[in-house]
Amino acid sequence: MQFHSFDQGYLERLQAGDFRTQEHFRVYFTALIQVKLRSRLHSQEAIEDVRQETFARFYVALREGKINQPERLGSFVNSICNNVLLEQYRSTIKHRPAGEEQPNEPPSPAPDPLAVCSSREIQQRVRQILGQLPERDRRLLREVILEERDKDEVCRDFGVDREYLRVLLHRAKQLFKSLYLKNNNAPEFTPA
Amino acid sequence: MDHDTVVRQKMAERYLLNELEPAARDEFEEHYFVCPECAADVHAGDVFIEESKIAFGSEESKANVWETAASPAKPDRATVPSGWFRWLRPAFAVPVFALLLTVIGYQDSRYRSLRQAGATPEVVASAVVNVGVRGEAPVAIPAPAGQAFGLTLNLPPGKGFSLYKLDLYSLQGQLEWSRTVPAAASDSLWLYVPGSDQAPATLAVHGITAGGASEDLGRYPIELQNQK
Repeated sequence: MQFHSFDQGYLERLQAGDFRTQEHFRVYFTALIQVKLRSRLHSQEAIEDVRQETFARFYVALREGKINQPERLGSFVNSICNNVLLEQYRSTIKHRPAGEEQPNEPPSPAPDPLAVCSSREIQQRVRQILGQLPERDRRLLREVILEERDKDEVCRDFGVDREYLRVLLHRAKQLFKSLYLKNNNAPEFTPA
Repeated sequence: MDHDTVVRQKMAERYLLNELEPAARDEFEEHYFVCPECAADVHAGDVFIEESKIAFGSEESKANVWETAASPAKPDRATVPSGWFRWLRPAFAVPVFALLLTVIGYQDSRYRSLRQAGATPEVVASAVVNVGVRGEAPVAIPAPAGQAFGLTLNLPPGKGFSLYKLDLYSLQGQLEWSRTVPAAASDSLWLYVPGSDQAPATLAVHGITAGGASEDLGRYPIELQNQK
């Protein structure tokens, strides 16, 4: 199945300030930026700073009509994020002079009480998946995920290779993915 | 980077496991920022990993439980731990430890109540390990081979560790058992090692800070000594 992502209609709705589209954009790319930055930045605060700056620059470019290829929207966001990250490393993020209009990132909605329930459901599903694994596989994942031991060492200790570890993660992820993507609070990875 | 290559080479798993070189990582990120299918895959995988940390972490904080792989027969339902702990049925890969029963308990002024699946209470020999003290002699346990024993681990105060990691190694140097536990309010841990044909030969203790840095606190050879 070929998913179609961002199209001209999506771009126009974003430019027009359509709330649902803006919220989709925020949730979708927040999720991807979080994954991207977690291995590079060591604090949630730094990740949030980069995310906000990325979105701010995106909306400036959107307002100035600089986004001409909606199908490359994701690539554009990724490029902005890379530039902001580079500046973060060099500690040269520009501060906008006082008085200059701040580009408007749509405000985040208030926390959804339903999100608490779905989060609990997600945790239960993860525990269920982990509990169904053979003990050896569960311990293998724990050594890698929680204890963050060197993966070659862990594989050696358990007598497996790296491909075994990848397949193990793949299978667990697939079991989890089908439930998670149906969850109301997961980003929509289908057309907005 | 085309989508078929991404799927065939399990790029999402490699990415989530931080296995990709920087150039490949950047290329894969460029791909999943435009590919909704891979975006969904990466995001779900990331959530699974983060939630697993929580699940494993909360498992460690509930350490007053007996794990058992004692009997090849299924344990009596009435004695199987309930809830999350019913999934704690270690089956050590190495046959030598197939019958090993291990408990970690937190020591207060007296031992907290322990619940053992399928066993009766018993008095066991024990020894004290002063973790982090240099020059410690091998840990001498006044018990013959094959008998259960306990170890009281006196932890170094004031180090500020968030977690302690305990590893048990066989005589051949193979890692046979490992457990990470949260640092408790008290300054000691109690480790119960049930009887086995081949008792562990070495205990290694590591302290882990809140930032994830690990510090080796010592390796302690264990010697079982026949009682006269």
